[in-house]
Amino acid sequence: MEEKLKKIQQDYLNRIGSSKTLKDLDEIFIGLFGKNGEVDTLSKQFKDIPKEELKTVGPLFNQIKQKLEKGIRVKREELREEIYQALENETLDTRSGEIKKRTGHIHPVTQFENEIIRLFNKLGFVRADAPQIDTDYNNFEVLNIPENHPARDLQDTLYISGKQQVTNDKLLLRTHTSNSQIRALSQNKPPIRLMNIGRCFRYENVDARHEHTFEQFEIVYVDKRVSMTHLQFLSEYFLKSVFGKDTKARLRPKYYPFVEPGTGVDSLCIFCKGKGCKVCGGIGWLEIGGAGMIHPQVLRNGGIDPDKYSGIAWGFGPERMVMLKYGIKDIRLFNSGDLEFLQKL
Amino acid sequence: MKVSISWLKELVDLNCSLEELVKLIPLRIIGIKEVTNRFMELDMKGYNRADLLSMRGIAYEVSAITDSKMLFKEPQEAEFAWNKQDLPSGKVEVQNSNLAPFYTITKIAGLKVQKSPEDWVRKLEESGMRSVDNVTDITNLIMLEYGQPLHAFDARAVKDEHIVVRTTKAGERITTLDGKTRDLEKTDLLIADPLNALGIAGVMGGKDSEVNETTTTILLEAAIFDPVNIKKTTTRLSLPSEASKRFQHGLTKKRLLQALNAAIKMYEKLGGKVTAITMMGDFEDEIRKITLTRKKLEDLVGVKFEDKQVEEYPQKLGFTLASPSQTRRAWAVTVPYWRLDVNIEEDVIEEVARMYGYEKIPAEPVSESAPLQKEDPIFQKISDLRGKLVDLGLTEVQTYSFYSTAILDTLSANKEKLVKVANPISAETEYLRENLWPNLVEVVGKNIRKGYKDIGIFEIGKAFKIEPDGNPSESYRLSIALMNGTDNPLAKLYQIAQTLASHSSSGNVVASELFHPKRQIGNLAEVHLRVLNKLGIEKRVAVLEMEIS
Repeated sequence: MEEKLKKIQQDYLNRIGSSKTLKDLDEIFIGLFGKNGEVDTLSKQFKDIPKEELKTVGPLFNQIKQKLEKGIRVKREELREEIYQALENETLDTRSGEIKKRTGHIHPVTQFENEIIRLFNKLGFVRADAPQIDTDYNNFEVLNIPENHPARDLQDTLYISGKQQVTNDKLLLRTHTSNSQIRALSQNKPPIRLMNIGRCFRYENVDARHEHTFEQFEIVYVDKRVSMTHLQFLSEYFLKSVFGKDTKARLRPKYYPFVEPGTGVDSLCIFCKGKGCKVCGGIGWLEIGGAGMIHPQVLRNGGIDPDKYSGIAWGFGPERMVMLKYGIKDIRLFNSGDLEFLQKL
Repeated sequence: MKVSISWLKELVDLNCSLEELVKLIPLRIIGIKEVTNRFMELDMKGYNRADLLSMRGIAYEVSAITDSKMLFKEPQEAEFAWNKQDLPSGKVEVQNSNLAPFYTITKIAGLKVQKSPEDWVRKLEESGMRSVDNVTDITNLIMLEYGQPLHAFDARAVKDEHIVVRTTKAGERITTLDGKTRDLEKTDLLIADPLNALGIAGVMGGKDSEVNETTTTILLEAAIFDPVNIKKTTTRLSLPSEASKRFQHGLTKKRLLQALNAAIKMYEKLGGKVTAITMMGDFEDEIRKITLTRKKLEDLVGVKFEDKQVEEYPQKLGFTLASPSQTRRAWAVTVPYWRLDVNIEEDVIEEVARMYGYEKIPAEPVSESAPLQKEDPIFQKISDLRGKLVDLGLTEVQTYSFYSTAILDTLSANKEKLVKVANPISAETEYLRENLWPNLVEVVGKNIRKGYKDIGIFEIGKAFKIEPDGNPSESYRLSIALMNGTDNPLAKLYQIAQTLASHSSSGNVVASELFHPKRQIGNLAEVHLRVLNKLGIEKRVAVLEMEIS
């Protein structure tokens, strides 16, 4: 047995040494470690070897296995280095024929957001930008969420490391698109109709229903005598166009520090139409967004007189809507780059 | 907050079925997380409603929204145990009255620690707490009913029965009830005796002064602590508790005294006797008066209300309203002491609106309109680019804004230049991406392993970097990655890029050993095989990266 092992070692070391391509090495690897390869076959014979002999053969076998593995690895690196060197001989060649015909695909979340943008464009809402790295002030303080406010528990925040240590200047990854509010209010004169869509971040452990990286959509609407009746309208307008004419919107009390009154926005369950099912937990309604009348202090922070104007902030999470609409069960698919998923919808 | 249903029925003579109540609570008060036949759990996360952290507070709400009768009355001050007898004071010293604005210690002797009666155990369990023993359980039952946390110290463990409320001394540590020794900071408020710390105020008691089976005399603490300070200590020590939650949300002196009185009664029933009581601080709660105007109410809600509605809805919730004029254009509203969340006119408007029912508010169309503001032109550029790329047959992907550890290793990235997250969830979210293309290459690898032989993908998103002044900055980027099975995918990518030429502003792919030594042109390059191999890719991949501005 010992002889046999040594012979295998020598044969394979020779073969490894003389291989010219990665493909050769792959073949050797399979010959050794693949199913029914040398290693597999040998280890099956061990049961017939007397115990005494096994004491020397066993360790030798492992030693040889490791040696060959390493041999292949080293050779592979050598061959790779040669290939890398050979790149110097290649040239920049940008000539090519026609661009291959492929079918392009827009990301399902983008596609959905485009629909919503068109929908709100009709009412005169246009997009405003807001940074993803922002100050604690713009993301929290100006929205009535001072440090140690209970609402911060909802929005576990990822902070940016750096020299800024003073509370208000502390930088963070925005936890919501509401960091656009102070910009919308302070950089424009009423009437205001703006929307902000984009990536937000929270300190969240990821599973099928939770993501640390997600999209939000939010509108800011300020005018004279804007009221909760408009909030009801916007909610219906949105839900009917997404889920169909027979959908209903329902407002209910919900607390957000930057609105007063604050509302949750529910949609009649699209699966059971209100009868109660597994998806809606038997309630008949699905929670889809948050909204409210912009808090007078937030208006004032933005330089708008709450005795003259009122405003609506209204938003939702596009991923959740897309998941409901297409029956997607795992939120992680959106950022996975999985082409099977992305090209299916 | 877990609401025991049987307990709620002791406080309110419920006028409707439980099913109806469970449907109505989310429409009038707050969302419900879970309902069983024994309890319902209110979704308190992030909420500011301190009153909903007590069974009595919930009872007030339930009674108001269902027109059900309350089964309890708030006691009058004259009925309080300490007003009916002369009691000596104990030794209590509050050194930081700003952190402990109201502090009371009641000495109760003659107790015998035993198992709690079944009724108590059930109430605690239905509220999500565990029974410990009769003496300790009273503190928790009272906290659940009144919202006021109480703490019982074994009097023997308090040197000279002398309580000192103070901040931490340098280097001081304490072993808390859970057996862990905690480092303290100088702003942490402690309850101590003249020698040692007995517990962290409002957060957790100490091991040494815990009630045990031989306890006969307790020093019962009922106090109000500064909510922000409690929150800081709780967060730093990761010690959230039922008590600290209530301190953080805010407490009132009126409710504290009711709770203390009720606790004394329960201890007396166990055979206990109050032998001393000390109260430090100002007894008065702030009374909040707010003017409610019909104009603002109707402007914000958009509904015309009858006088009766405006007045009755808040009154049912414990508010008092008075209108100085016959025309009822404005009301002087007094907020019930337990509603710490109501401070401005809009808060009162919310009370009227939710009692009316948000779901009954009709829709009034928002008129169609031409844009009132100018849209940031970058969005049109992004849309156009995306449209073109999809027409060219590419698939849009989205990847995380972070570099994975696999990418960080492969790029041998200079981490100093990357924007860093101070409190990453894991090493996978520690550094923000400086470019998009590495993430796309990673995606190409994933899909090759799934059997794809031809991959053309792009991403439009933000990349982040550190500016020379040390501040982070972000910009919109487009990146494309192409793997078409050939040895020169750059040629095809070059063609694609030509069609976008009008958009390419600056090249972000810079000469670097990350790319093929010869195949780099403008903002295009073939990724070096060494990089690809490290990411487990054997095929050639070409990438483009450019800033959109």
